[in-house]
Amino acid sequence: MKTEFKLLRVLLLSALFLGGCGAHDAPGLEEDGIAHLTYWSSQNPGERRLAVELVDAWNRANPDVQVTVQPLPAGQSSEEVLLAAVVAGTTPDVCSNIWPGIVSDFVRAAGVIALDSFPDFDSIMAARVPGDFIERVRAGDGHIYQIPWKSNPIMMQYNVRMFREYGIESPPRTYSEYLVAAEKISRDLDGDGQVDQWIGYRDIQPIWHQRFFDYYAFYIAASGGRTLFQKNELRIDREVSNTVFGFFQELYTNGYFPRSKLQSNPFIQETVATDFVGPWNIAWLEENAPAELEFAYAPLPLPDDYRGESFTYGDYKNITIFSNTRYPEAAWRFAKHLISKEADLRLIEIATQLPIRAGLLEDPFFEAYFAENPRMVPFARQMMFTRGIEDVRSFPEMLDAIAAQYEAAAVYGVRSPEEATARAIERIKELQAWYE
Amino acid sequence: MKKFLLYIVLILGAVAFAYPFVWMMLASFKPELEIGGLTLLPSSWTLDSYRLVFESIPIVRAFLNSLIVVVAVTGSVLLFSSMIAYALSKLNWRGRETVFNTILFTMMVPGMVMLIPLYTLVVRFGWTDSLVGLIVPFLMNATAVLILRQSFLTIPGDILEAARIDGCGELRILFTIIWPLSIPAIVTAGIIVFIGNWNEVLWPIMVIRKEEWMTMPQMVALFSVGGGSFGKLGPQLAAAFMLGLPIIALFLFFQRYFISSMASSGLKG
Amino acid sequence: MSTIAGNLAPGHRKNRIPRRRTAGRRIGYLFSAPYLIHLAIFFGYPLIFAFVLVFHRWDIVTPMEFIGLKNVIRLFQDDLFFRAILNTGLFLAIHIPLQILVALFFAELLNTKLKGRNFFRSIYFLPVVVSGVVVAILFQQLFAFETGYVNSLISAIGGKRIPWLVSPKWAMPSIALMATWKNVGFYIILFLTGLQNIPESMYEVAHLEGASTWQRWRYVTLPLLNPMMVTVVVLSTIGGFSLFIEPYVLTGGGPMHSTLSALLYIYNQAFYFNHMGYAAALGLFFALIIFVVVFVQRRFVEEDVY
Repeated sequence: MKTEFKLLRVLLLSALFLGGCGAHDAPGLEEDGIAHLTYWSSQNPGERRLAVELVDAWNRANPDVQVTVQPLPAGQSSEEVLLAAVVAGTTPDVCSNIWPGIVSDFVRAAGVIALDSFPDFDSIMAARVPGDFIERVRAGDGHIYQIPWKSNPIMMQYNVRMFREYGIESPPRTYSEYLVAAEKISRDLDGDGQVDQWIGYRDIQPIWHQRFFDYYAFYIAASGGRTLFQKNELRIDREVSNTVFGFFQELYTNGYFPRSKLQSNPFIQETVATDFVGPWNIAWLEENAPAELEFAYAPLPLPDDYRGESFTYGDYKNITIFSNTRYPEAAWRFAKHLISKEADLRLIEIATQLPIRAGLLEDPFFEAYFAENPRMVPFARQMMFTRGIEDVRSFPEMLDAIAAQYEAAAVYGVRSPEEATARAIERIKELQAWYE
Repeated sequence: MKKFLLYIVLILGAVAFAYPFVWMMLASFKPELEIGGLTLLPSSWTLDSYRLVFESIPIVRAFLNSLIVVVAVTGSVLLFSSMIAYALSKLNWRGRETVFNTILFTMMVPGMVMLIPLYTLVVRFGWTDSLVGLIVPFLMNATAVLILRQSFLTIPGDILEAARIDGCGELRILFTIIWPLSIPAIVTAGIIVFIGNWNEVLWPIMVIRKEEWMTMPQMVALFSVGGGSFGKLGPQLAAAFMLGLPIIALFLFFQRYFISSMASSGLKG
Repeated sequence: MSTIAGNLAPGHRKNRIPRRRTAGRRIGYLFSAPYLIHLAIFFGYPLIFAFVLVFHRWDIVTPMEFIGLKNVIRLFQDDLFFRAILNTGLFLAIHIPLQILVALFFAELLNTKLKGRNFFRSIYFLPVVVSGVVVAILFQQLFAFETGYVNSLISAIGGKRIPWLVSPKWAMPSIALMATWKNVGFYIILFLTGLQNIPESMYEVAHLEGASTWQRWRYVTLPLLNPMMVTVVVLSTIGGFSLFIEPYVLTGGGPMHSTLSALLYIYNQAFYFNHMGYAAALGLFFALIIFVVVFVQRRFVEEDVY
């Protein structure tokens, strides 16, 4: 099969003289005795700046290993881009910003290298990564293919001025408190019969990854840190799921959340008082919002009868080394540079994102930063109480099934929470059956 | 009176079809907050929307990519389609009818059936993220063959006979005799292929993931759907306007050809 | 034979003809070869491969897994796919009649001798040539609920805002409206051509027999326009089945799957969830539906014509 294709390709290309348009940049050859590495970083401006800075420092200190940094090519999602790159064999040597949900696909395609084969891997990880975080990224075959890099807990962002104005003393901690605040804040300011100020806003489009910021995060919170699966077995707690659907249903049916797609950013325009976001939003708001905008962060609201620690969804992004690298050793050395203490501090400072590092708040090295930037403190505290996603096949489509039910039950209120949970489970099971 | 009413209705129709474009053009020069308003003219003209577009996406590059793809495809379609159209209309050879019927059959299979296997083929050839993947699968076009064949059939055979006797090669006959006699058909086929290819967005979305190789419609669509425009309206409208402009300009110059060729493509289908 | 040929020396001719005949055959093959090779690779192979894919699960990255009829079984259990097909049907049901009415209306208006006819024709045709992406972005702004131009206009004259794209009831009609706006210029031209082909004498006869304007339209125009009607119905059906970019840009298939078109669902299965085999099965099944619909339409109408 392979050779046939090659033959066809050669025939076609030579027949049509179109060989010149290829997009594959060949990696640097080592004629000069220098190892050339390519490193893909995330696209957002903060992380791009961070990547450039870290790479510059590296290149100056390591003349024998020269790294070229490039933001992850644009696409609808970075996962699509990376999968395409694995298929086409155009992956970089090192990539940060890898969503853990995609790594098992890479492993199956033999696209990434097992990092625990490096002798110092365990000790490096033990020194940096807290608790059982390293166990969470262990693949089914017992190896580890990703360095836990950063985790961004989803928390409630709120407008301090609006809360004060409507007599809300402290950020709501329970569903009831949130609904009380919602009732006070959501109103029709210009008197045209349409509500034009709301407690919050979520993208209502049925896009699976949007559900990380509402249903999924709230499910984790309300269940005390459980996820939809346990050891790859579907274990959706119907009670919890119903509670979460019910909460959002109440918000939408009462008009506390708009049932439309708002243009521009409503939090900046102060047309909504809360949002559920990760710490990266701090840097974004500081850059884009007017200086008068007062905002702060608190844990997600919890069911009224919930007792215990407040958990949330953590948006984990990790570092992998791709197996088409010609210099695994050098790539590993560079990866270690990306997770050094200094690099971690810069990650917090430039991108306002949290490295997966034990004792951030106790370490004197980070002390000055957190003293000056109190907004990051709740996130750093929350980081230990986060859950990520499941390593199950086709997780996105499963979340898509939930997104559909979220839309029906919560946004449009045409289905009871119980019915929504049941239907979501049914469709997920159909999908699992197809995968057996 | 009747005429007057007729004009009123026609003008209302024209407003309905043209006004959105006019609005889009003017809105792209408005300050962001003014876009939702009802006034047509900006209170102050600004290039902010365009600045943001140029800062966040390489739209000039995308324009060039589109241009390369469209020119390569249109050129190749005209060349190869006229060759086979010539063979199908003016040369006698065994299997001619079978070939013609096969081409008709390919037109009847909906494009979306082919989409996924064609994509996987392009993946195996390693043509994802390259213009090759956008060009090569579309080097031939059945509609163009039909249009050209139809036109070639009307050219009397003795002219060709005479040229052959003069010692003309078949290629020379095709390009020096047939082509000049079939200019309308060639323009028609060219425009259909050009427009279809320029506006194609699904295929590039599948094949191209790297920004540097994206075509213009694809990039503008992703800019609007994805987070690139930060939810701002002005930049989306500015990008859309830039995407529409080349075709609108071409259309205004060649409207007569455009209309007749699109209409004839429909009638042949 | 032309005069040029007649001027040539007979001997010259004799030598040429037999050689040309064989050359003609060889050149026939030679001229067809590039097209046919291309056809085999980019049409023949994918068509066969589509059928192979149906029996496999494949995410492109990892090797194909043979799964027998699982894709087919899943297809028949997939409520969402049938929802998507129904949605596409709903779209066609709104879009085609609307399009025919509007196109006929304007074609009739333009089928009179008046100044500026070409100007109007061109304006109506403008949206046809512009990319669907431009149109989708444009309508996203025009139809936005809170800040959209259309709703601002409606509430300025005291009306109630319409939830164009955010209500499950309104979303598909809105998209059908938009698609009509974009394509109708094309069909105006087709109908106009059809109307102009109706001989003037037919109307004169009807006039002499004392037919009213309506009767003339009903018994002369409409029957004679029928072949064009067939073309319009078939073309807009095929076009309507490939509804994709409008919901892709405007709604993502929502709200509540009300604008999820079949092609958008197939696209999502293939490129969002990387289920190539399943998507191929969906694609082939959907193609079958199109075939049947278009075949029935043609049958139906051809009987009418002849």
